[in-house]
Amino acid sequence: MNVVGGAVLRSVAALRANFVVGLTLAVVTLPQAIAFATTLAGLPPHFGIYAAIWGVLFTAILNPSRVFSGGPNTTMSAAIGITLLPVAPPFGADYMGYALTLILLAGLVQMLFVLVRPLGRMLDLINEPVINGLICGIGLFLIFKSLTSFGGLPINTQVEWPLWIAWQSLLAVLELGNMHAIQIGLITLVTSLVARRVYVLRNWSILIGVAAGTAYSQYLNATIGLQNTLIEQIANLSRIGLVLPSVPLFNQEAMSDIIAILPGAITLALLGLFQTVAAMRRMNRKIGSYTDSRKGIFADAVSNCVLPFLSSLPTCASFNRMWLVYSLGGHSRWSSVSSAIVLLAMVLFLAPVIAIIPMPAMAAVIMLLGANMINWEDIRPHFSSRREATVFLASFLSVLFLDLFGAVVAGSVLAIAYSKWEQAHPSITPEDGVLKIRGNIYYGSLPVIEATYHRALERNPKIRLDISECFYIDQEGIRWLAAAKARQAIELIDRRKGQDRRRLQRRTAADAKRMAGRRRSRQDRRQRHLF
Amino acid sequence: MSSRAAGWIRIVVVAAVLAALYALALHKHAERERLRDAPVALTADCRAKLEAYGLRAGGHYRSPYLQRTGVNPDARQGYREQDVRAIQRGCNLIDDLQGYQAKGGAPERWHASRFVRGTSTTCVHCHQSVGDKHDGEGRRIPGSNNLGASWVMADMYDRFTGLLLPHELRQMQCFINSSNGFKPNAADDVIRDITAYSRFLSGALGMKIGNRYPEQGIEEIPASATRRRGDDYVRGAHTYRERCAACHGLQALGNVVDGRTRYPALAGPESFSLDSRMNFTAVNTIMPGFICRNMPPGAEGSLDPQQCRDIAYYLSTLPRPAGDRQGPLAALWQQGMMIVMPPLTRYAETLGGRPQTHTQAHSSR
Repeated sequence: MNVVGGAVLRSVAALRANFVVGLTLAVVTLPQAIAFATTLAGLPPHFGIYAAIWGVLFTAILNPSRVFSGGPNTTMSAAIGITLLPVAPPFGADYMGYALTLILLAGLVQMLFVLVRPLGRMLDLINEPVINGLICGIGLFLIFKSLTSFGGLPINTQVEWPLWIAWQSLLAVLELGNMHAIQIGLITLVTSLVARRVYVLRNWSILIGVAAGTAYSQYLNATIGLQNTLIEQIANLSRIGLVLPSVPLFNQEAMSDIIAILPGAITLALLGLFQTVAAMRRMNRKIGSYTDSRKGIFADAVSNCVLPFLSSLPTCASFNRMWLVYSLGGHSRWSSVSSAIVLLAMVLFLAPVIAIIPMPAMAAVIMLLGANMINWEDIRPHFSSRREATVFLASFLSVLFLDLFGAVVAGSVLAIAYSKWEQAHPSITPEDGVLKIRGNIYYGSLPVIEATYHRALERNPKIRLDISECFYIDQEGIRWLAAAKARQAIELIDRRKGQDRRRLQRRTAADAKRMAGRRRSRQDRRQRHLF
Repeated sequence: MSSRAAGWIRIVVVAAVLAALYALALHKHAERERLRDAPVALTADCRAKLEAYGLRAGGHYRSPYLQRTGVNPDARQGYREQDVRAIQRGCNLIDDLQGYQAKGGAPERWHASRFVRGTSTTCVHCHQSVGDKHDGEGRRIPGSNNLGASWVMADMYDRFTGLLLPHELRQMQCFINSSNGFKPNAADDVIRDITAYSRFLSGALGMKIGNRYPEQGIEEIPASATRRRGDDYVRGAHTYRERCAACHGLQALGNVVDGRTRYPALAGPESFSLDSRMNFTAVNTIMPGFICRNMPPGAEGSLDPQQCRDIAYYLSTLPRPAGDRQGPLAALWQQGMMIVMPPLTRYAETLGGRPQTHTQAHSSR
């Protein structure tokens, strides 16, 4: 009986600890969710809030990882905005319909990654420099993108090359921005930055910044009047209840536009999955546990297929919130669940307070998050190797010069090309008649090996080939080794484990026989599968 | 130094940068404010146009044009001093977007050249006679791209984009496509002043908001208006040589003297983009209409519809900037073509051994 009582007490204590984490998480998520929806995705604020409620809840239930935290995401929200701006005017009914369709399509694409196993495995081939390059590029893009809202100017409604537009927007803010808006934005920005330096306020810094910006905006409203300051505020959410059902737009007239946004849907799906897989990989390593990334993909895919019917942004892992959960000592999925519940209560009871938050403050929040995404500590390791630096810069620049889809494609292709390049260049050290090969012997690396081999052969007709540190030899490599051996030019040194060595010996012996013109025995043919 | 101190120093640096930007913003705002209040030096065409319409500040405004054409207009509410200045600046922008005729240079035109990639593009190339073209007897011309008629169409359904376009967004399209540039912010003085001028024109011409007037846009020439021989850019090239090349140049690169455009470029980096409605392959009725209505100056109407379509088709085959929707690769390709094609074409011209005609002698570029 005592044992049961102890267990109950312990779980109550854990629940309470996680509830505090959940409360912090909810307070941190709320301004982010509103900012993502309004400034990035071009959707009403409740889209972000529902993502922070239902998205977090669904992923917490479906994803077994202990530190995982889902919900609205900067990059995905920005991708929605970028994809849909040419299709319909933001905040309109059509735009919302297209956004829901886009999210559903992305969810279905993600489902494909669950169903087709090799596709899901492909995500593991995206390396850190690509992801960091994307994240940094998007971070910079977010800063540029929120410039117009920061200056209280109308948002540009047509997609062009972001860098040019950013420059034009900066000039526009400097020359004709609404000075009241700029003041509110600056107050939010500086207050958040200062609050973050104070240890106790660290995790609440964004909320404190928004509170300061809102307080100043209220002061302006009281003294000058909203009709003179012309500051845009978040709309009143008080009519929004527990659930707000919605239906994606699918009709014949919209079909051409839906087809046009398909690449956007694929980008959205990939951006979400990249972050989920990468975040799970990094955070699980940090806490020393392991959760199959497929489970994360599954959780995301299912959530994103359901969320468009609940007027919500898509969900994926959030690096900064997962880091928060980890640093606050959250250690179960209860923290995410309690954050969702707290947030739901806040929306139901605090809607009039949310309504007066000024948009420039939200833009400042986005700028801060964008700046946080460019983390020198994460980037620095990439610059120690030229290859990693190239991949990083390529994916970083392609966000700024191409679009997100182009960046994903360019980055992935470069990463795969580099890993192939790495494999195709084994380290070969020639020293007095011994060629030591470290790496792979396969079709890609053979030309490199052959070149060195023949050069060595010119100097020394009797060569010994040391393949003790080869970890992968493909059929073509085996045939080449066999042919070389058959010509009696080389002697193989193989100090690998007995089993590996015997396989290769048997294989090369058989191939050597074949090269010598004999027929292979049936036994050899049966053992082909061993390689 | 501890990381704590480094963190605070970083904040101080960021705050200093933000403060500097704030000070810069204050300075720029003050400069704009000063320019808004400063008297406007009109260009010659604008002075003539606005004087003819009797623009001056006062409690009431009565349009001389309407009085002359026999309509006895009601006195409209007049214009304040700042309205008059806005209208005057708008007219200057239409006539001289890049500020070549402005003493104060680019700031006097609200830095509008920032939104245009070429160095000689200005609105009046398409919106002729400062956006309000009249014939010899002082009558408005149908399909003459009248800005006043365009303003009263504000917020009308645009059949090319399928959007309800406010006049401000329509102007942005001009900046993006026809002048191959960037769009100003909707709150920019460039947009506001041009809107003020367009609105003034509509009032002076007695146009009513929400109506469609024949002066708006260009009288289009669809294939059905021809004898259906089919559009042919080879035929078009031939006609272009005979009728257009004398002014616009053999390569259609235009004719600019001392920074003043005498004849605008129809191809090349100074021209409209592939996305522009002036481009035959984007919209195949507008450019032919413009040619038939306005070209060649002094002999308008001498080209038949088929010839206009052929010339427009030929022009669309010449290299020009890519539109912004076409992405960086297309832009790169077009840039390459604009560099490579003119010398190649010039070389090809010499191969035929054709005697030099007067058209070649005249084209300066």
